[in-house]
Amino acid sequence: MKRGLVKSRLPFVVLGVFFLVLYAPIAAVVLFSFNAGKSLSAFSGFSLRWYREFFSDGALTGSVATSVQVAAVAMAGSVVLGTAMAVGASRVRGRFGAFAGFVTLIPLLTPEIVTGVASLLLFKGLGITPSLLTLILAEITFSVSYVAVILRARLAALNPEVEEAAMDLGATRWQALRLVTLPALAPVVLAAAILVFALVFDDFVLAAFTSGTDDQPLPVRIYSAMRFGIRPSINAVGTVMLAGSAVLIALALALPRLFGRRGTGLDLLSGE
Amino acid sequence: MRRHSRLWAALALPALAWLGVFFLGAILLVLALSFGTTDPLGNPVFAVDPSSYRTLMEPVYARVLVRSLLYAGAATALCAVVAYPVAYSIARYGGRFKNVLIAAVVVPFFANYLVRMYGWSALLADEGPVMRVVGWLPFGPERMVSTAAAVVGGLAYGFVVFMILPVYAALERLDPAVIEAGRDLYGSRLATFVTVTVPATRHGVYAGAVLTFLPATGDFVSAQFLGGPEQLMIGNLVQEKFFAGQDWPLGAALTVLLMAVLVLCTVGYVRQGVRREVS
Repeated sequence: MKRGLVKSRLPFVVLGVFFLVLYAPIAAVVLFSFNAGKSLSAFSGFSLRWYREFFSDGALTGSVATSVQVAAVAMAGSVVLGTAMAVGASRVRGRFGAFAGFVTLIPLLTPEIVTGVASLLLFKGLGITPSLLTLILAEITFSVSYVAVILRARLAALNPEVEEAAMDLGATRWQALRLVTLPALAPVVLAAAILVFALVFDDFVLAAFTSGTDDQPLPVRIYSAMRFGIRPSINAVGTVMLAGSAVLIALALALPRLFGRRGTGLDLLSGE
Repeated sequence: MRRHSRLWAALALPALAWLGVFFLGAILLVLALSFGTTDPLGNPVFAVDPSSYRTLMEPVYARVLVRSLLYAGAATALCAVVAYPVAYSIARYGGRFKNVLIAAVVVPFFANYLVRMYGWSALLADEGPVMRVVGWLPFGPERMVSTAAAVVGGLAYGFVVFMILPVYAALERLDPAVIEAGRDLYGSRLATFVTVTVPATRHGVYAGAVLTFLPATGDFVSAQFLGGPEQLMIGNLVQEKFFAGQDWPLGAALTVLLMAVLVLCTVGYVRQGVRREVS
């Protein structure tokens, strides 16, 4: 009896405490974004003043536009490059595929600060002043790997016999790829694109090293605001970002399911 | 067939070339500049001059490096201690809510890292809710922020999802028949857990350890917002050299040092994995 109790309750306690700690900082940001007072520890009534302050701050709203722009271009570039890479590398014979897979993994295993320093030095070496362009190039570099790894996992799970059947029916290799494999891959490509958008929009470390002094993306702007003392309007900005990320992640998770795939698309996040 | 193979290779080539230039090329530049110097105006100049590495020999840098490794190691251990029961609870008792629970673990990871750290530092602040609770207790620390524990906790908070996912995947792949066999051999619940489940899933913990240790070692946000001058990590020094100090060759040398440590860890992990597959 006693053991039965332990068995049934312990997992609930473990998960309860864990999720409490996991969500408490996020909940605090959301709660205090609606605080009427300036305090970050005492809630003195509901107010939207920090949202008003955020939306009337031209530098901050400009950063939102910059971040959207960068994320959109980086998404497009990395999805095209990464999809071609994943398809090519998974089909090619011999050692080339393994080599390509290895090269793809390195950026994902490298701490962002190293990538940031390296990108900054490269652009300086090439004589390009940090700007929107350098920021986008650096973000593509990081995201290509991400897209390629997600898609290669999915390509490995696709049944190659379907493509072969198409070719038996007279399709060329390209037709089989275009008419059979790519449509089967499309939901995952779309989901990967959304995830890349969210990651690039939120990225701070790489952006801090490669963006110039003009057109700073939102996380870099937030970082400097945080360094010069904590401002309550950061809570409002943070909450807006959280809401945006949540919508994107829900979309990415739901996509494979909408297209009739089994599972939740969580394997996208875990890179399984 | 051979002709097709070349076609496929051509498809992969643009991205490979991109990574070759913008990633590997850039890393080589870091290596090159770490042997550079600065001109009187403070601009970095390429040279063959090991003076940056000589500077790194100074005890202050060794201290920061050791501290970074200790913090990252402690955070990784903390992640493992937290992640294993969480992953186990979800895998064994999650039932039809498994996917929802894993989603609940992953989603905060997509919240902006800065915002999460900011929320964490607000909770731990001197006037914050955690300290107010601690203040009622007859014992407890005088403050939370600007302590090593806060930085380690921040790192663990930031990267714990990288530990939970591989451990969960390992637990999910574990055949329940193996656990039943342990029970059939009269192992108690605990004995089966310790002698069967944990060893059978340790590769998940190893993978998680690499995935948390690598980003934690290079992190500078946690130490900046949760620590003080006594808690600076190698990432903070790199950032300072590039943004404020302007000593880029020294910053590059610090980056090389960081990379070297991480390459050693990764190689160690891969070799360990290879040995596992051989045996």
